[in-house]
Amino acid sequence: MKNARTVALLLALPWVVTFAAFWLFPVVYSLIVGFTDAQLLAHETHWVGWDNFRALFHDPAFVSSLKNTFLFVIVTIPITTVVSLSLAHMVNRQFKGRGLFRAGYFVPSITSMVVIALIFTNLYQRGGYVAMLASMVGFTPPQNGFLFDSHTALYAIMAMDIWMAAGYYMLIFLAGLKSIPDELYEAAELSGAGKIRQFFSITLPMLKPVALFILVINSIKSFQVFVEIFVMTSGKFDTSTAVFFVYDTGLTTKFQFGYASAAAYVLFVIIAVFSAAQFMLLRRRQPLW
Amino acid sequence: MVGGVMRGIGRYTLLSIILAVMIFPLLWMFRVSLSAPGASIGLADVFSTGLSLQTYTDIFRTSHMGRYLFNSAFVGVTVTAGNILFSFMVGYTLARYRTLTNKLVFFTVIGILMIPAHIVIIPLYVLMVKAHLYDTYWALILPWLVNPIGIFLVKQYVETIPTSMEEAARIDGAGELSILFRIVMPMCKPALAVLAIQVFFTNWNSFLFPFILTQSDQIRTLPVALALYQGHQAIDWQHLMAGSTIAVLPVLILFIIMQRQIVSGITAGAVKQ
Repeated sequence: MKNARTVALLLALPWVVTFAAFWLFPVVYSLIVGFTDAQLLAHETHWVGWDNFRALFHDPAFVSSLKNTFLFVIVTIPITTVVSLSLAHMVNRQFKGRGLFRAGYFVPSITSMVVIALIFTNLYQRGGYVAMLASMVGFTPPQNGFLFDSHTALYAIMAMDIWMAAGYYMLIFLAGLKSIPDELYEAAELSGAGKIRQFFSITLPMLKPVALFILVINSIKSFQVFVEIFVMTSGKFDTSTAVFFVYDTGLTTKFQFGYASAAAYVLFVIIAVFSAAQFMLLRRRQPLW
Repeated sequence: MVGGVMRGIGRYTLLSIILAVMIFPLLWMFRVSLSAPGASIGLADVFSTGLSLQTYTDIFRTSHMGRYLFNSAFVGVTVTAGNILFSFMVGYTLARYRTLTNKLVFFTVIGILMIPAHIVIIPLYVLMVKAHLYDTYWALILPWLVNPIGIFLVKQYVETIPTSMEEAARIDGAGELSILFRIVMPMCKPALAVLAIQVFFTNWNSFLFPFILTQSDQIRTLPVALALYQGHQAIDWQHLMAGSTIAVLPVLILFIIMQRQIVSGITAGAVKQ
């Protein structure tokens, strides 16, 4: 048995080492650095206490990044959830070609975000496809394209994100729908409940755990939106987000490691609080709907 | 009867419109990549402009496309192999040796899943620079060799396998390691396939860390190269879309081959809890 324990320890070793070096150490390191004025080229580093955090909330660039991040989360998450649930509902029952539709809806979400962002940069440009569609329905597209206008840029990126993620969450909802026992629907049928009633009284309540899972992972992801911002607008036109701010202050021109780490931790705390709140809200005994 | 048929037609129309919206951008990418370089492809030209593979031969000749592709493949395959081996080892240990330490380790694994990756942007950069690993393959491989989701997947799977085979082998005098790799690992193939495809996709598509941890064309991966290509001059859509198509193709092919594993990987965490 002693032998077995040694083996167990040895097996876990590669993970313990890489975990300690590349995750645990960085997480602790950046917490400490967040309280200093560390910069790439500074000769000495000073402990500055809460100064970085105080400065952040007086920094218009950070405040607007945070505002954009919240806007992103608040707009995309409800829409993505509703759209993906509707898609799942539509492709759930048996019909010819179902697999093809499922696969087609899902494909965008396994494509590289960089590639998607590039394609949409093209579609959103002046005189591009989306501008054409917009004028067809009587909406005047922004003169320089959707991404070069502070009023539309962030929303254009949000629309793309919803389009991209819908198929992914559709799959998770589908798994949830499959786990609902048929007997429930049969019983409802017998007692004369219509399709709509069944959806609200059986499907939605039974999907609660799956919906919670989706809300939590989707918001953790959305709070960290970065790649599409970097590729499509480089944070210009009022599209900078919190992670973009971390990158911009920490790893470009000034390399303010301390300040950027503090910003990263602010976002971390926000994400933690938000996730905890979602858990508590959806864990309640009474169904929310 | 007629109502049913009408409803059927209505359903297919709606589903098809959505399908068109979902795959149009990818088709557009492909179409633009197939137009002759320099020929500006407008909205009306989709059908009238001829097809050409010129852009593809161009990017392999005039850019480091071959190198980027190699880098992406090399890093992707190495990280995937590492995960199959190491996540398997850790997951197995956690499933079979149920000690207090292991339970603690397990909760740490779950804890890590919750830590948003953006926290390590700055420290990982600093670490890699200080350790002289910045702009090397090591920087793109080492931190991702074992991932918590993989450990979790393997642990769940091993727990469903009865221990009788392992015990029989032990009685026959087989060593722990040969039990692990000759008996248990082959039985875990389904879980490892799910793990492999997920890790490979994530790694292949990954941008943020490959971007901040590299700077030379020798090490950069394909998504990084594509994202930065844009900045140089007025956007050259044809070549950019050809590069994008090259980045998407392996994923699409793997998706067609391994659809089942991909789907079960995504839904594994959701339904169980």
